[in-house]
Amino acid sequence: MMQIIGKSAELQLEKDVSTRYLPVVIAAMIFLAALAIGGLFSLSNAISDWSATLTGNLTVEIAFDPTADLDKKVTDAVELLSKTPGVAAARAIEQEETLKLLEPFLGRNAALGDLPIPRLIEVIIDEDSAIDLAALNEKLGEAVAGARLDIHRPWLDKMVLLGRSVQILAAAIMLLIGAVTVIIVIFAVRTGLIMHAEVIQVLHLIGARDQYIAEQFQNYFARLSFLGALPGLIVAIIVMFIFNFLVGSLEASMLPPLSLGVEGIIALLLLPLMVALLTRFTVRRVVLGSLERMM
Amino acid sequence: MVRFENVGMRYGLGPEVLRDISFHLQPGSFHFLTGPTGAGKSSLLKLLALSHRPSRGLITLFNKEVSSLARDDLPAMRRKIGVVFQDFRLLDHLSALENVALPLKIAGAKNSQIYQHVAELLEWVGLGRQVDAKPPTLSGGEKQRVAIARAVINRPQLLIADEPTGSMDAEMGLRLMYLFQELNKIGTTVVVATHDLGLIKRFGNPVMFLKDGMLTTRKQDELPSQFSRDGG
Repeated sequence: MMQIIGKSAELQLEKDVSTRYLPVVIAAMIFLAALAIGGLFSLSNAISDWSATLTGNLTVEIAFDPTADLDKKVTDAVELLSKTPGVAAARAIEQEETLKLLEPFLGRNAALGDLPIPRLIEVIIDEDSAIDLAALNEKLGEAVAGARLDIHRPWLDKMVLLGRSVQILAAAIMLLIGAVTVIIVIFAVRTGLIMHAEVIQVLHLIGARDQYIAEQFQNYFARLSFLGALPGLIVAIIVMFIFNFLVGSLEASMLPPLSLGVEGIIALLLLPLMVALLTRFTVRRVVLGSLERMM
Repeated sequence: MVRFENVGMRYGLGPEVLRDISFHLQPGSFHFLTGPTGAGKSSLLKLLALSHRPSRGLITLFNKEVSSLARDDLPAMRRKIGVVFQDFRLLDHLSALENVALPLKIAGAKNSQIYQHVAELLEWVGLGRQVDAKPPTLSGGEKQRVAIARAVINRPQLLIADEPTGSMDAEMGLRLMYLFQELNKIGTTVVVATHDLGLIKRFGNPVMFLKDGMLTTRKQDELPSQFSRDGG
Protein backbone atom coordinates (compact mmCIF):
# COMPACT_ATOMS: atom_id res chain seq x y z
CA MET A 1 0.00 0.00 0.00
CA MET A 2 2.81 2.38 0.89
CA GLN A 3 4.32 1.66 -2.52
CA ILE A 4 1.06 2.66 -4.17
CA ILE A 5 0.44 5.84 -2.22
CA GLY A 6 4.03 6.51 -1.16
CA LYS A 7 6.16 9.62 -1.45
CA SER A 8 7.75 10.72 -4.70
CA ALA A 9 11.34 9.59 -4.21
CA GLU A 10 13.14 11.72 -6.78
CA LEU A 11 10.75 14.54 -7.58
CA GLN A 12 9.99 15.59 -3.99
CA LEU A 13 6.49 16.69 -4.89
CA GLU A 14 5.75 16.87 -1.16
CA LYS A 15 7.64 20.15 -1.01
CA ASP A 16 5.52 21.85 -3.67
CA VAL A 17 3.63 24.84 -2.34
CA SER A 18 1.22 24.59 -5.29
CA THR A 19 -0.27 21.31 -4.04
CA ARG A 20 -0.42 22.21 -0.35
CA TYR A 21 -4.08 23.24 -0.44
CA LEU A 22 -5.26 20.46 -2.74
CA PRO A 23 -6.43 18.24 0.19
CA VAL A 24 -8.56 21.13 1.50
CA VAL A 25 -10.24 21.53 -1.90
CA ILE A 26 -10.72 17.76 -2.18
CA ALA A 27 -12.18 17.69 1.35
CA ALA A 28 -14.75 20.34 0.38
CA MET A 29 -15.61 18.43 -2.80
CA ILE A 30 -16.02 15.15 -0.93
CA PHE A 31 -18.17 16.87 1.70
CA LEU A 32 -20.55 18.05 -1.02
CA ALA A 33 -20.41 14.71 -2.84
CA ALA A 34 -21.21 12.83 0.39
CA LEU A 35 -24.23 15.04 1.02
CA ALA A 36 -25.36 14.50 -2.57
CA ILE A 37 -24.99 10.73 -2.11
CA GLY A 38 -26.91 10.97 1.17
CA GLY A 39 -29.76 12.78 -0.59
CA LEU A 40 -29.66 10.43 -3.57
CA PHE A 41 -29.92 7.21 -1.58
CA SER A 42 -32.36 8.61 0.99
CA LEU A 43 -34.72 9.68 -1.76
CA SER A 44 -34.33 6.38 -3.53
CA ASN A 45 -35.24 4.52 -0.34
CA ALA A 46 -38.12 6.89 0.38
CA ILE A 47 -39.56 6.37 -3.11
CA SER A 48 -39.30 2.59 -2.70
CA ASP A 49 -41.08 2.82 0.67
CA TRP A 50 -43.87 4.99 -0.72
CA SER A 51 -44.34 2.67 -3.68
CA ALA A 52 -44.36 -0.47 -1.51
CA THR A 53 -46.75 1.03 1.04
CA LEU A 54 -49.16 2.53 -1.43
CA THR A 55 -49.13 -0.45 -3.76
CA GLY A 56 -49.78 -2.92 -0.93
CA ASN A 57 -52.50 -0.83 0.72
CA LEU A 58 -55.54 0.33 -1.20
CA THR A 59 -58.71 2.07 -0.19
CA VAL A 60 -62.21 1.48 -1.49
CA GLU A 61 -64.41 4.53 -1.28
CA ILE A 62 -68.21 4.22 -1.33
CA ALA A 63 -69.78 7.55 -2.21
CA PHE A 64 -72.21 9.10 0.32
CA ASP A 65 -75.84 8.57 -0.73
CA PRO A 66 -78.56 9.53 1.79
CA THR A 67 -81.12 7.35 -0.02
CA ALA A 68 -79.03 4.15 -0.11
CA ASP A 69 -78.19 1.59 2.60
CA LEU A 70 -74.50 2.33 2.95
CA ASP A 71 -73.90 -0.46 5.51
CA LYS A 72 -75.19 -3.07 3.04
CA LYS A 73 -73.02 -1.60 0.30
CA VAL A 74 -69.99 -1.85 2.59
CA THR A 75 -70.78 -5.48 3.50
CA ASP A 76 -71.24 -6.40 -0.18
CA ALA A 77 -68.00 -4.72 -1.16
CA VAL A 78 -66.03 -6.39 1.67
CA GLU A 79 -67.50 -9.77 0.68
CA LEU A 80 -66.54 -9.26 -2.97
CA LEU A 81 -63.06 -8.09 -2.12
CA SER A 82 -62.44 -10.96 0.33
CA LYS A 83 -63.25 -13.47 -2.40
CA THR A 84 -60.95 -11.80 -4.93
CA PRO A 85 -57.67 -13.74 -5.42
CA GLY A 86 -54.65 -11.67 -4.41
CA VAL A 87 -56.48 -9.69 -1.73
CA ALA A 88 -55.06 -10.58 1.68
CA ALA A 89 -57.63 -8.68 3.73
CA ALA A 90 -60.50 -6.23 3.36
CA ARG A 91 -61.69 -4.31 6.44
CA ALA A 92 -64.47 -1.78 6.66
CA ILE A 93 -63.34 1.39 8.40
CA GLU A 94 -65.90 2.39 11.00
CA GLN A 95 -67.62 5.77 10.79
CA GLU A 96 -66.01 6.86 14.09
CA GLU A 97 -62.59 5.93 12.78
CA THR A 98 -63.17 7.99 9.61
CA LEU A 99 -64.35 10.95 11.61
CA LYS A 100 -61.24 10.71 13.76
CA LEU A 101 -59.08 11.01 10.65
CA LEU A 102 -60.82 14.31 9.88
CA GLU A 103 -60.45 15.73 13.38
CA PRO A 104 -57.01 17.33 12.80
CA PHE A 105 -58.42 19.28 9.83
CA LEU A 106 -61.92 20.19 11.01
CA GLY A 107 -61.56 20.29 14.79
CA ARG A 108 -62.98 18.08 17.49
CA ASN A 109 -66.15 20.06 18.02
CA ALA A 110 -67.28 20.21 14.41
CA ALA A 111 -70.62 18.64 13.58
CA LEU A 112 -69.03 15.79 11.69
CA GLY A 113 -72.06 13.62 11.82
CA ASP A 114 -73.87 15.93 9.42
CA LEU A 115 -71.21 15.79 6.75
CA PRO A 116 -71.65 13.69 3.57
CA ILE A 117 -68.67 11.50 4.35
CA PRO A 118 -68.01 8.48 2.12
CA ARG A 119 -67.57 5.03 3.66
CA LEU A 120 -64.09 3.53 3.43
CA ILE A 121 -62.72 -0.01 3.20
CA GLU A 122 -59.04 -0.77 3.76
CA VAL A 123 -57.71 -3.39 1.37
CA ILE A 124 -54.39 -5.15 1.80
CA ILE A 125 -52.94 -6.85 -1.27
CA ASP A 126 -50.89 -10.07 -1.04
CA GLU A 127 -47.17 -9.59 -1.59
CA ASP A 128 -46.03 -10.85 -5.00
CA SER A 129 -49.62 -11.00 -6.28
CA ALA A 130 -50.24 -9.87 -9.85
CA ILE A 131 -53.69 -8.43 -9.27
CA ASP A 132 -55.28 -6.35 -12.05
CA LEU A 133 -56.43 -3.28 -10.12
CA ALA A 134 -58.24 -1.69 -13.07
CA ALA A 135 -60.33 -4.83 -13.62
CA LEU A 136 -61.04 -5.05 -9.88
CA ASN A 137 -62.17 -1.42 -9.87
CA GLU A 138 -64.57 -2.10 -12.75
CA LYS A 139 -65.95 -5.24 -11.13
CA LEU A 140 -66.46 -3.41 -7.85
CA GLY A 141 -68.28 -0.52 -9.53
CA GLU A 142 -70.67 -2.95 -11.24
CA ALA A 143 -71.40 -4.93 -8.07
CA VAL A 144 -71.71 -1.98 -5.66
CA ALA A 145 -73.07 1.29 -6.99
CA GLY A 146 -70.89 4.25 -6.03
CA ALA A 147 -67.87 2.08 -5.01
CA ARG A 148 -64.48 3.12 -6.33
CA LEU A 149 -61.02 1.67 -5.78
CA ASP A 150 -58.55 4.39 -4.87
CA ILE A 151 -55.19 3.12 -5.97
CA HIS A 152 -53.33 6.38 -5.09
CA ARG A 153 -51.54 6.08 -8.45
CA PRO A 154 -51.81 9.72 -9.64
CA TRP A 155 -50.49 11.04 -6.31
CA LEU A 156 -47.80 8.39 -6.13
CA ASP A 157 -46.76 9.08 -9.73
CA LYS A 158 -46.30 12.76 -8.94
CA MET A 159 -44.29 11.98 -5.80
CA VAL A 160 -42.11 9.49 -7.70
CA LEU A 161 -41.57 12.04 -10.49
CA LEU A 162 -40.54 14.66 -7.93
CA GLY A 163 -38.26 12.18 -6.20
CA ARG A 164 -36.64 11.07 -9.47
CA SER A 165 -36.10 14.71 -10.51
CA VAL A 166 -34.30 15.44 -7.25
CA GLN A 167 -32.30 12.23 -7.74
CA ILE A 168 -31.21 13.34 -11.23
CA LEU A 169 -30.25 16.72 -9.77
CA ALA A 170 -28.17 15.01 -7.08
CA ALA A 171 -26.48 12.83 -9.73
CA ALA A 172 -25.77 15.95 -11.81
CA ILE A 173 -24.23 17.60 -8.74
CA MET A 174 -22.05 14.50 -8.28
CA LEU A 175 -20.89 14.72 -11.90
CA LEU A 176 -20.16 18.43 -11.52
CA ILE A 177 -18.13 17.76 -8.36
CA GLY A 178 -16.20 15.03 -10.21
CA ALA A 179 -15.51 17.36 -13.15
CA VAL A 180 -14.34 20.21 -10.90
CA THR A 181 -12.09 17.82 -8.97
CA VAL A 182 -10.54 16.58 -12.22
CA ILE A 183 -9.93 20.14 -13.45
CA ILE A 184 -8.30 21.19 -10.15
CA VAL A 185 -6.06 18.12 -10.23
CA ILE A 186 -5.07 18.81 -13.86
CA PHE A 187 -4.00 22.36 -12.97
CA ALA A 188 -2.00 21.16 -9.97
CA VAL A 189 -0.26 18.43 -11.99
CA ARG A 190 0.62 20.80 -14.83
CA THR A 191 2.14 23.22 -12.31
CA GLY A 192 4.13 20.33 -10.82
CA LEU A 193 5.39 19.29 -14.24
CA ILE A 194 6.64 22.82 -14.93
CA MET A 195 8.25 23.15 -11.50
CA HIS A 196 10.07 19.83 -11.82
CA ALA A 197 10.94 20.02 -15.52
CA GLU A 198 14.69 19.99 -14.81
CA VAL A 199 14.62 16.87 -12.61
CA ILE A 200 12.28 15.17 -15.09
CA GLN A 201 14.80 15.88 -17.84
CA VAL A 202 17.61 14.38 -15.74
CA LEU A 203 15.50 11.29 -15.03
CA HIS A 204 14.74 10.92 -18.73
CA LEU A 205 18.41 11.25 -19.67
CA ILE A 206 19.49 8.56 -17.22
CA GLY A 207 16.98 6.19 -18.76
CA ALA A 208 13.71 6.65 -16.87
CA ARG A 209 10.58 5.61 -18.68
CA ASP A 210 7.58 7.95 -18.77
CA GLN A 211 5.68 5.49 -16.59
CA TYR A 212 8.38 5.73 -13.88
CA ILE A 213 7.92 9.51 -13.70
CA ALA A 214 4.13 9.30 -14.02
CA GLU A 215 3.99 6.87 -11.08
CA GLN A 216 5.62 9.41 -8.78
CA PHE A 217 3.01 12.01 -9.72
CA GLN A 218 0.02 9.67 -9.60
CA ASN A 219 1.00 8.09 -6.27
CA TYR A 220 1.56 11.47 -4.65
CA PHE A 221 -1.65 13.06 -5.94
CA ALA A 222 -3.72 9.94 -5.16
CA ARG A 223 -2.38 10.09 -1.59
CA LEU A 224 -3.26 13.80 -1.32
CA SER A 225 -6.78 13.14 -2.61
CA PHE A 226 -7.32 10.21 -0.27
CA LEU A 227 -6.07 12.16 2.75
CA GLY A 228 -8.22 15.15 1.78
CA ALA A 229 -11.28 12.98 1.21
CA LEU A 230 -11.25 11.45 4.71
CA PRO A 231 -11.95 14.64 6.73
CA GLY A 232 -14.49 15.76 4.10
CA LEU A 233 -16.35 12.46 4.49
CA ILE A 234 -16.19 12.53 8.29
CA VAL A 235 -17.61 16.07 8.44
CA ALA A 236 -20.38 15.10 5.99
CA ILE A 237 -21.33 12.09 8.15
CA ILE A 238 -21.44 14.31 11.26
CA VAL A 239 -23.67 16.81 9.39
CA MET A 240 -26.02 13.97 8.36
CA PHE A 241 -26.24 12.77 11.98
CA ILE A 242 -27.04 16.32 13.14
CA PHE A 243 -29.70 16.63 10.40
CA ASN A 244 -31.32 13.34 11.45
CA PHE A 245 -31.22 14.41 15.10
CA LEU A 246 -32.94 17.71 14.28
CA VAL A 247 -35.54 15.98 12.09
CA GLY A 248 -36.16 13.41 14.84
CA SER A 249 -36.64 16.11 17.44
CA LEU A 250 -39.43 17.76 15.38
CA GLU A 251 -42.89 16.32 15.98
CA ALA A 252 -44.86 15.30 12.87
CA SER A 253 -42.03 16.62 10.69
CA MET A 254 -42.63 17.11 6.99
CA LEU A 255 -38.97 16.19 6.37
CA PRO A 256 -38.00 12.53 6.34
CA PRO A 257 -34.68 11.66 8.07
CA LEU A 258 -31.72 10.72 5.86
CA SER A 259 -31.72 6.96 5.47
CA LEU A 260 -28.99 5.72 3.17
CA GLY A 261 -29.47 1.98 3.37
CA VAL A 262 -26.61 -0.49 2.98
CA GLU A 263 -25.86 0.56 -0.61
CA GLY A 264 -25.70 4.22 0.37
CA ILE A 265 -23.33 3.54 3.28
CA ILE A 266 -21.08 1.45 1.02
CA ALA A 267 -21.11 4.23 -1.62
CA LEU A 268 -20.24 6.77 1.03
CA LEU A 269 -17.36 4.69 2.41
CA LEU A 270 -16.04 4.04 -1.09
CA LEU A 271 -15.95 7.76 -1.84
CA PRO A 272 -12.32 8.41 -0.68
CA LEU A 273 -11.14 5.36 -2.61
CA MET A 274 -13.05 6.44 -5.71
CA VAL A 275 -11.66 9.99 -5.61
CA ALA A 276 -8.13 8.59 -5.12
CA LEU A 277 -8.60 6.31 -8.15
CA LEU A 278 -10.09 9.16 -10.22
CA THR A 279 -7.12 11.36 -9.28
CA ARG A 280 -4.64 8.59 -10.07
CA PHE A 281 -6.18 7.99 -13.48
CA THR A 282 -6.38 11.72 -14.29
CA VAL A 283 -2.80 12.40 -13.19
CA ARG A 284 -1.45 9.48 -15.20
CA ARG A 285 -3.20 10.68 -18.36
CA VAL A 286 -1.99 14.28 -17.89
CA VAL A 287 1.62 13.36 -17.07
CA LEU A 288 2.01 10.78 -19.85
CA GLY A 289 0.41 13.22 -22.32
CA SER A 290 2.78 16.00 -21.29
CA LEU A 291 5.90 13.79 -21.27
CA GLU A 292 5.09 12.56 -24.75
CA ARG A 293 5.54 16.11 -26.01
CA MET A 294 9.11 16.05 -24.67
CA MET A 295 11.73 13.92 -26.38
CA MET B 1 28.90 3.97 -32.96
CA VAL B 2 27.84 7.59 -33.63
CA ARG B 3 27.12 9.02 -37.05
CA PHE B 4 25.77 12.47 -37.92
CA GLU B 5 24.82 13.16 -41.53
CA ASN B 6 23.92 16.73 -42.58
CA VAL B 7 22.29 17.36 -39.23
CA GLY B 8 20.62 20.69 -38.53
CA MET B 9 18.95 21.83 -35.35
CA ARG B 10 16.79 24.76 -34.34
CA TYR B 11 14.80 25.58 -31.22
CA GLY B 12 11.17 26.09 -32.11
CA LEU B 13 10.87 28.44 -35.05
CA GLY B 14 14.20 30.15 -34.32
CA PRO B 15 17.29 30.17 -36.54
CA GLU B 16 19.38 27.05 -37.01
CA VAL B 17 21.94 26.71 -34.20
CA LEU B 18 23.61 23.76 -35.89
CA ARG B 19 24.03 23.46 -39.64
CA ASP B 20 25.09 20.55 -41.83
CA ILE B 21 26.88 18.69 -39.05
CA SER B 22 28.45 15.47 -40.28
CA PHE B 23 30.90 13.27 -38.38
CA HIS B 24 31.52 9.69 -37.35
CA LEU B 25 32.82 8.52 -33.98
CA GLN B 26 34.42 5.07 -33.86
CA PRO B 27 33.69 2.84 -30.86
CA GLY B 28 36.27 3.39 -28.11
CA SER B 29 37.41 6.78 -29.47
CA PHE B 30 38.05 9.90 -27.38
CA HIS B 31 37.14 13.29 -28.83
CA PHE B 32 37.16 16.85 -27.60
CA LEU B 33 34.43 19.22 -28.72
CA THR B 34 35.36 22.85 -28.56
CA GLY B 35 34.49 26.23 -29.99
CA PRO B 36 33.69 29.75 -28.86
CA THR B 37 30.71 30.58 -26.65
CA GLY B 38 27.43 30.26 -28.54
CA ALA B 39 28.95 28.04 -31.24
CA GLY B 40 26.42 25.27 -30.52
CA LYS B 41 28.42 22.86 -28.32
CA SER B 42 25.61 22.33 -25.83
CA SER B 43 23.10 21.85 -28.65
CA LEU B 44 25.31 19.20 -30.24
CA LEU B 45 25.63 17.44 -26.88
CA LYS B 46 21.82 17.52 -26.50
CA LEU B 47 21.49 15.68 -29.79
CA LEU B 48 24.13 13.16 -28.70
CA ALA B 49 22.37 12.61 -25.36
CA LEU B 50 18.98 12.06 -27.09
CA SER B 51 17.63 15.03 -25.22
CA HIS B 52 16.48 16.77 -28.40
CA ARG B 53 15.64 15.71 -31.94
CA PRO B 54 17.39 17.20 -34.97
CA SER B 55 15.29 19.42 -37.23
CA ARG B 56 16.91 17.78 -40.27
CA GLY B 57 19.53 15.21 -41.21
CA LEU B 58 20.21 11.71 -39.88
CA ILE B 59 21.67 10.66 -36.53
CA THR B 60 22.68 7.05 -36.06
CA LEU B 61 23.50 5.86 -32.55
CA PHE B 62 24.50 2.28 -31.80
CA ASN B 63 23.49 1.32 -35.35
CA LYS B 64 19.96 2.69 -34.98
CA GLU B 65 18.62 5.73 -36.77
CA VAL B 66 17.32 8.04 -34.03
CA SER B 67 14.31 9.51 -35.88
CA SER B 68 12.94 6.02 -36.49
CA LEU B 69 13.00 5.13 -32.78
CA ALA B 70 9.70 4.68 -30.99
CA ARG B 71 9.29 6.59 -27.73
CA ASP B 72 9.45 3.33 -25.77
CA ASP B 73 12.87 2.57 -27.29
CA LEU B 74 14.46 5.79 -26.01
CA PRO B 75 15.05 4.80 -22.34
CA ALA B 76 17.02 1.69 -23.34
CA MET B 77 19.12 3.80 -25.74
CA ARG B 78 19.71 6.48 -23.12
CA ARG B 79 20.97 3.87 -20.65
CA LYS B 80 23.85 3.27 -23.07
CA ILE B 81 24.78 6.95 -22.82
CA GLY B 82 26.29 8.62 -19.76
CA VAL B 83 25.94 12.38 -19.47
CA VAL B 84 27.98 14.68 -17.20
CA PHE B 85 26.24 18.04 -17.09
CA GLN B 86 28.11 21.30 -16.73
CA ASP B 87 25.91 22.17 -13.73
CA PHE B 88 26.01 18.58 -12.38
CA ARG B 89 22.20 18.31 -12.07
CA LEU B 90 22.41 16.21 -8.94
CA LEU B 91 19.28 15.77 -6.84
CA ASP B 92 19.99 17.79 -3.70
CA HIS B 93 17.74 15.78 -1.38
CA LEU B 94 19.45 12.50 -2.22
CA SER B 95 22.82 11.42 -0.83
CA ALA B 96 25.85 10.95 -3.09
CA LEU B 97 25.24 7.21 -2.97
CA GLU B 98 21.54 7.57 -3.86
CA ASN B 99 22.35 9.97 -6.71
CA VAL B 100 24.84 7.55 -8.20
CA ALA B 101 22.48 4.60 -7.63
CA LEU B 102 19.60 6.30 -9.46
CA PRO B 103 20.33 4.97 -13.00
CA LEU B 104 20.54 1.42 -11.64
CA LYS B 105 17.36 1.86 -9.61
CA ILE B 106 15.56 3.19 -12.67
CA ALA B 107 16.84 0.26 -14.71
CA GLY B 108 15.26 -2.05 -12.11
CA ALA B 109 18.42 -3.48 -10.50
CA LYS B 110 18.14 -5.15 -7.10
CA ASN B 111 19.07 -3.09 -4.03
CA SER B 112 21.68 -5.60 -2.88
CA GLN B 113 23.51 -5.32 -6.21
CA ILE B 114 23.09 -1.57 -6.44
CA TYR B 115 24.68 -0.45 -3.20
CA GLN B 116 27.80 -2.56 -3.27
CA HIS B 117 28.47 -1.53 -6.85
CA VAL B 118 27.82 2.16 -6.12
CA ALA B 119 29.99 2.18 -3.00
CA GLU B 120 32.89 0.70 -5.01
CA LEU B 121 32.47 3.32 -7.74
CA LEU B 122 32.39 6.18 -5.25
CA GLU B 123 35.55 4.79 -3.71
CA TRP B 124 37.11 4.76 -7.19
CA VAL B 125 36.31 8.44 -7.79
CA GLY B 126 37.72 9.28 -4.34
CA LEU B 127 34.45 9.86 -2.50
CA GLY B 128 34.43 6.72 -0.36
CA ARG B 129 34.00 8.76 2.79
CA GLN B 130 31.20 10.94 1.48
CA VAL B 131 28.69 8.35 0.37
CA ASP B 132 26.01 9.75 2.70
CA ALA B 133 26.75 13.43 2.02
CA LYS B 134 24.08 15.47 0.27
CA PRO B 135 25.21 17.51 -2.78
CA PRO B 136 24.79 20.94 -1.10
CA THR B 137 27.48 19.93 1.42
CA LEU B 138 29.99 18.88 -1.28
CA SER B 139 32.53 21.08 -3.07
CA GLY B 140 32.29 21.73 -6.82
CA GLY B 141 34.89 19.08 -7.60
CA GLU B 142 33.19 16.52 -5.37
CA LYS B 143 29.84 17.21 -6.99
CA GLN B 144 31.43 16.77 -10.39
CA ARG B 145 32.82 13.39 -9.37
CA VAL B 146 29.40 12.29 -8.08
CA ALA B 147 27.96 13.38 -11.44
CA ILE B 148 30.62 11.37 -13.27
CA ALA B 149 29.98 8.32 -11.10
CA ARG B 150 26.26 8.63 -11.90
CA ALA B 151 27.06 8.90 -15.60
CA VAL B 152 29.21 5.77 -15.68
CA ILE B 153 27.41 3.52 -13.18
CA ASN B 154 25.48 1.82 -16.01
CA ARG B 155 28.76 1.18 -17.91
CA PRO B 156 27.66 3.35 -20.85
CA GLN B 157 29.01 2.82 -24.35
CA LEU B 158 29.10 6.57 -24.91
CA LEU B 159 30.11 9.15 -22.29
CA ILE B 160 29.36 12.81 -22.88
CA ALA B 161 30.75 15.53 -20.61
CA ASP B 162 29.89 19.21 -20.87
CA GLU B 163 32.66 21.42 -19.47
CA PRO B 164 33.53 18.82 -16.82
CA THR B 165 36.53 20.73 -15.52
CA GLY B 166 34.88 24.13 -15.48
CA SER B 167 34.16 24.11 -11.76
CA MET B 168 37.42 22.74 -10.44
CA ASP B 169 41.06 23.70 -10.12
CA ALA B 170 43.67 22.61 -12.66
CA GLU B 171 44.93 19.66 -10.63
CA MET B 172 41.43 18.30 -10.01
CA GLY B 173 40.64 18.87 -13.71
CA LEU B 174 43.62 16.76 -14.70
CA ARG B 175 42.66 13.98 -12.32
CA LEU B 176 39.19 14.03 -13.85
CA MET B 177 40.58 13.73 -17.35
CA TYR B 178 42.68 10.74 -16.28
CA LEU B 179 39.44 9.22 -15.01
CA PHE B 180 37.90 9.69 -18.45
CA GLN B 181 40.98 8.13 -20.03
CA GLU B 182 40.58 5.10 -17.77
CA LEU B 183 36.97 4.73 -18.90
CA ASN B 184 38.04 5.16 -22.50
CA LYS B 185 40.61 2.40 -22.09
CA ILE B 186 37.88 -0.07 -21.14
CA GLY B 187 36.04 0.68 -24.38
CA THR B 188 33.82 3.67 -23.60
CA THR B 189 33.53 6.25 -26.38
CA VAL B 190 34.14 9.66 -24.78
CA VAL B 191 33.16 13.14 -25.99
CA VAL B 192 34.31 16.02 -23.79
CA ALA B 193 33.09 19.53 -24.56
CA THR B 194 35.45 22.14 -23.19
CA HIS B 195 36.67 25.69 -23.57
CA ASP B 196 39.99 24.77 -22.01
CA LEU B 197 42.40 24.75 -24.98
CA GLY B 198 45.29 23.97 -22.66
CA LEU B 199 43.62 20.79 -21.57
CA ILE B 200 42.94 19.79 -25.18
CA LYS B 201 46.56 20.39 -26.18
CA ARG B 202 47.84 18.47 -23.18
CA PHE B 203 45.87 15.29 -24.01
CA GLY B 204 46.22 15.41 -27.78
CA ASN B 205 42.98 13.64 -28.70
CA PRO B 206 41.06 14.46 -31.92
CA VAL B 207 39.21 17.78 -31.75
CA MET B 208 35.81 18.70 -33.22
CA PHE B 209 35.73 22.47 -33.63
CA LEU B 210 32.36 24.22 -33.73
CA LYS B 211 31.92 27.77 -34.94
CA ASP B 212 28.68 29.49 -35.89
CA GLY B 213 26.84 26.18 -35.87
CA MET B 214 29.26 24.55 -38.34
CA LEU B 215 31.64 21.72 -37.45
CA THR B 216 35.19 21.21 -38.61
CA THR B 217 37.87 18.77 -37.51
CA ARG B 218 41.09 20.49 -36.51
CA LYS B 219 44.53 19.33 -35.61
CA GLN B 220 46.02 20.46 -32.32
CA ASP B 221 48.29 23.03 -33.96
CA GLU B 222 45.36 24.57 -35.87
CA LEU B 223 43.52 25.55 -32.71
CA PRO B 224 43.52 29.20 -31.61
CA SER B 225 45.60 30.04 -28.57
CA GLN B 226 42.45 31.25 -26.82
CA PHE B 227 38.82 32.08 -27.59
CA SER B 228 38.04 35.76 -27.93
CA ARG B 229 34.80 37.23 -26.56
CA ASP B 230 33.29 37.72 -30.03
CA GLY B 231 33.88 34.05 -30.86
CA GLY B 232 36.81 32.38 -32.54
